Amino acid sequence: MSPHAIVFLASLVVVVLVLALVDRLLRPGLRGLLEEITGLPPATEFYLRAFTLVIALVGLAALIGSGHGDLKDGARFMEYVWAVAGGLQDVFQNLIIVLLVYVALITVLMASLRRKH
Amino acid sequence: MTNERYLIVSYFLGGLVSLGLGVAAYRVLRAPFAAIADAVEVKFRSPLLKRMLAVSMTMAGVLGFLSLSYTQKGCINYQQVVKDRSYLVKVNQQQLQSTGNWIVYAVFGWCVVVVILLVVLRSKEPAGHDEA
Repeated sequence: MSPHAIVFLASLVVVVLVLALVDRLLRPGLRGLLEEITGLPPATEFYLRAFTLVIALVGLAALIGSGHGDLKDGARFMEYVWAVAGGLQDVFQNLIIVLLVYVALITVLMASLRRKH
Repeated sequence: MTNERYLIVSYFLGGLVSLGLGVAAYRVLRAPFAAIADAVEVKFRSPLLKRMLAVSMTMAGVLGFLSLSYTQKGCINYQQVVKDRSYLVKVNQQQLQSTGNWIVYAVFGWCVVVVILLVVLRSKEPAGHDEA
């Protein structure tokens, strides 16, 4: 297996774990909030699916697009680690941008649909 | 496999994958979006919104694929493109990345549309409905 393939597979495993963790951490709170502010189950489902779709696509797209360094055969362990870290930097950068945009969107949703008591 | 054959195969395969990603994104969002659109469109009964979702998601996938230029908008010629296999692989990766990004932009656009639909739906509710 080439060094590039090893780095790509290692990065893929880390990215899938990170995406699953983010989804698992945020989904219950997001579902509760959406159910409360929209009051429409399909709308809650739409935003939850959009959330999962967006973080998955952004994470995987950043992973595929990152160069994974230029490792040669016989590279040392830490060179692999640096190559994986370089790929993950793009993933995290794009993921945080998307999360901020999503938060802004949910804030607009809350402001638009706020209930008058 | 020669570089030229690789270019042909990877180009059409990349196009199909991009189109498939757009269709997959549409299928993920279709059911909940249709329910929202139906709730809003009780008066008009127009399938326009649902069709627009299908068209825009698949177009976003294809647009991401098409937005990459092998010749860098004419800066390098065909022979230079075909000469370097690593360049071809890199462009394939960028095509997939661009496809993912464009689908994300489209999903965010539709999230905004759903906000507007929900506001319309809320404005139709009779006064005092929320105070229960």
